[in-house]
Amino acid sequence: MPAGIPYEEARTRYQVGGQPRMRADDASVAELLRAWHPDHGAGARVALAVGVNRGEPCQPDLARHLQANALIDDVDIAGAQLTTTDVLVIGGGGGGCAAALTAAGEGARVILATKLRLGDSNTVMAEGGIQAAIGDDDSPQRHFEDTLRAGHFRGEPELVARMVMEGPDVIRWLIRLGMMFDQEEGQLMGGNLLRKKPGGATAARILSYRDYTGLEMMRVLREAVDLAPGIEVWNRCAAVELLSDERGRCAGAVLYNMEWRSFVLVRARAVVLATGGAGRLHLNAFPTSNHYGATADGLVLAYRLGARMRDLDSFQYHPTGIAHPPHLAGALISEAARSAGAKLLNGEGERFIDELQPRDVVASAILRECAQGRGIARDGQLGVLLDIPTLERENPGILAKRLVTVRHLAHKCGIDATQEPFLVYPTLHYQNGGAEVDVHGATAVPGLFCAGEVTGGIHGRNRLMGNALLDILSMGRRAGAKAASRDGAVPAIRAGIGHVHAWQRELTAAGLPLDARAPLLFPDYAHFDLQADAGLGSGAHARVVGGLR
Amino acid sequence: MLHLTIEGREVEARGGCSILQAYVQAGETLVEGVGCMGQGVCGSCRVMVRLSGEKEVRTALACETLVQEGMQVAFLDYFTEATRHTYDLEDIGDSWQVLRTITDVFPEAPHCRHCSGCDRACPKDLEVQRGVNLAVEGKLAEASHVFDECVMCNLCTLACPESIRPNHLGLFVRRIVASQALRPANLMLRLRQVENGEMTIDFDAPGARPPA
Ligand SMILES: Cc1cc2nc3c(=O)[nH]c(=O)nc-3n(C[C@H](O)[C@H](O)[C@H](O)COP(=O)(O)OP(=O)(O)OC[C@H]3O[C@@H](n4cnc5c(N)ncnc54)[C@H](O)[C@@H]3O)c2cc1C
Ligand code: SF4
Ligand code: SF4
Ligand code: FES
Repeated sequence: MPAGIPYEEARTRYQVGGQPRMRADDASVAELLRAWHPDHGAGARVALAVGVNRGEPCQPDLARHLQANALIDDVDIAGAQLTTTDVLVIGGGGGGCAAALTAAGEGARVILATKLRLGDSNTVMAEGGIQAAIGDDDSPQRHFEDTLRAGHFRGEPELVARMVMEGPDVIRWLIRLGMMFDQEEGQLMGGNLLRKKPGGATAARILSYRDYTGLEMMRVLREAVDLAPGIEVWNRCAAVELLSDERGRCAGAVLYNMEWRSFVLVRARAVVLATGGAGRLHLNAFPTSNHYGATADGLVLAYRLGARMRDLDSFQYHPTGIAHPPHLAGALISEAARSAGAKLLNGEGERFIDELQPRDVVASAILRECAQGRGIARDGQLGVLLDIPTLERENPGILAKRLVTVRHLAHKCGIDATQEPFLVYPTLHYQNGGAEVDVHGATAVPGLFCAGEVTGGIHGRNRLMGNALLDILSMGRRAGAKAASRDGAVPAIRAGIGHVHAWQRELTAAGLPLDARAPLLFPDYAHFDLQADAGLGSGAHARVVGGLR
Repeated sequence: MLHLTIEGREVEARGGCSILQAYVQAGETLVEGVGCMGQGVCGSCRVMVRLSGEKEVRTALACETLVQEGMQVAFLDYFTEATRHTYDLEDIGDSWQVLRTITDVFPEAPHCRHCSGCDRACPKDLEVQRGVNLAVEGKLAEASHVFDECVMCNLCTLACPESIRPNHLGLFVRRIVASQALRPANLMLRLRQVENGEMTIDFDAPGARPPA
């Protein structure tokens, strides 16, 4: 890590309420991104050597997982318990819950299997809010154009159009389920929902519940799923492979039940993958804001079965992750702070970017400051300052009223948010790309649907704040409904992992090793080895698992 | 280096890290009792903690609690209750009967012993007992507000001798309030416009195409 200006020294240049100058800079946005964003530069991508996206670019760390061998082989699942259901939903975040609730609502029998517990997900961590164009100065058309523009016009207009048109209905659906939203003047009947303006949008369109929208959303969705008679929830059951039939359709999944330490085969007419993102792969050695289970499992499984991917080299690094104290590194400080007017300062006490630029631009600017020696070093961590104290001085009470989570976070960092600025550094936040889907979440593999962060196409190569929560719910509902319909779904006669054998041949032909395995299921530092845990032969020398499992 | 015991194992840890971090840094397996890993919102990492030299055992969230010399930590298993309160929001027809609905679904709620077990268990310092009592009195808005920041860790449910499941009662009340009473004007207007076909998407609008 490059050197920075010592914290104490930088602190002497900082003053609450100071009027820092903006550092002169004539680099264009395009130059800034090209030179400093982790998606760009020499080591940013490799060409995939196997699978349907062969020859196309992919982030190198992710590529290692996509081009790995399966975790299991035929012998491992011989004699495993077998269950059948109509729809198997994999993943217990917002996308999975929306799919399960709609599928069950259509009368399908649903199993929702999730790796940790129902709700442990990126969804519960969302803070800022959800977009829906409901203001009189706003329209779905504006939402449509803002989303495409922010995504550098690489998103799919059809998908975006469906999402923005459904925005208001998704909010009504959430309210019907019992989710609360902030209001302008606190009257329940006939008042207006409070709207906030996200960076990069032309109208105030963020709806929220305080600054823990995801918590409010997820506890409602989880309770609804838990109480829905048509849904069985399987906690702590990770998908380790999909099942295919003789025609290459998706016919269910192999789950690993962590409680029983055994495999279960679930045959289903349709599978909805909603396994979320990839942050815990710590791509490019970045810290992450993501939950513990965000290890790109869905991407790996879908790709191996033949689903086409897109934008596998495009990720979002949120500008304001915590850099200090080290134990909170990567934790997110919501964009709400910058939207409200908080400024970023380098070690020389200067501003260096318009803080309300899109996330990729602001993150790149911070990386540049740090790489060029104007960052601030504290206990081995490097970053720049986020000036909350001045914001509070200029808007007394804003921390108590609007930025509740920021205040909590400051407390956890051991600082007084009215006196001391945060040290921040970009954090790996969101996977812009993923499985290619149609408006019903259908992939190219019959029987396999995807919803949520595991998909690509809506956000192009950069996502607006608040669009992910809308995306997962609108697509999740559509995928759930379609998966429940019996359109052309002929139950598979035989379901197995035949596609894995073909995959292994492909790996060998490409000269790739068979001993690298994926999905990862848990980050490296979880010290989890499936082979050893399940008592499989090849892992006999691996560490015997103790600890908390 | 600090020394502490987690799940009966001696663990060495650098100061300034959370219990969860200390555990994985010590090389132990951690695939349960963890979710958000630090944000303190998922309620998975429930632990009992006893500080060196103290008798009292407290409940806490392991991702938000920093290690201390001599600390003893035990994780609390996630459990699924044998009985639970089931309801369907759609069935709550007459909102004049909401008080009865609440006690129908949560028949134990009026039996609160005011023992404040729930308050002591809550890692978020919510006034859980007050929330329960407000709900029973029908002060729904106030009751729901008490549970604003509840992370559904279920520690209060574990602590409650009357099996009230205070957090689920709190969530039930919140859901009733939102689903029955929240009717935002701007949202209703936009829904009508969308349903009438007044709002459509023009794929060829100048703003929908990349600048030349
Ligand atoms: C800190 C933070 C703040 C954010 N703030 C906002 C915001 O304000 N607004 C916004 O729009 N977006 C926000 N986002 C992004 C948004 O929250 C996510 O993109 C979205 O919630 C993803 O939903 P999902 O259902 O696709 O995945 P998740 O909610 O991540 O759910 C994935 C689920 O899949 C499970 N899973 C993973 N692998 C497996 C497997 N192998 N087998 C079984 N289950 C598996 C996981 O355990 C989890 O339950 C934020 C994200 C983070 C991390
Ligand atoms: S109210 Fe209960 S479930 Fe909610 S945070 Fe407190 S102890 Fe946990
Ligand atoms: S623990 Fe149960 S009985 Fe005791 S005060 Fe709380 S709700 Fe009442
Ligand atoms: S890991 Fe989520 S609350 Fe601790």
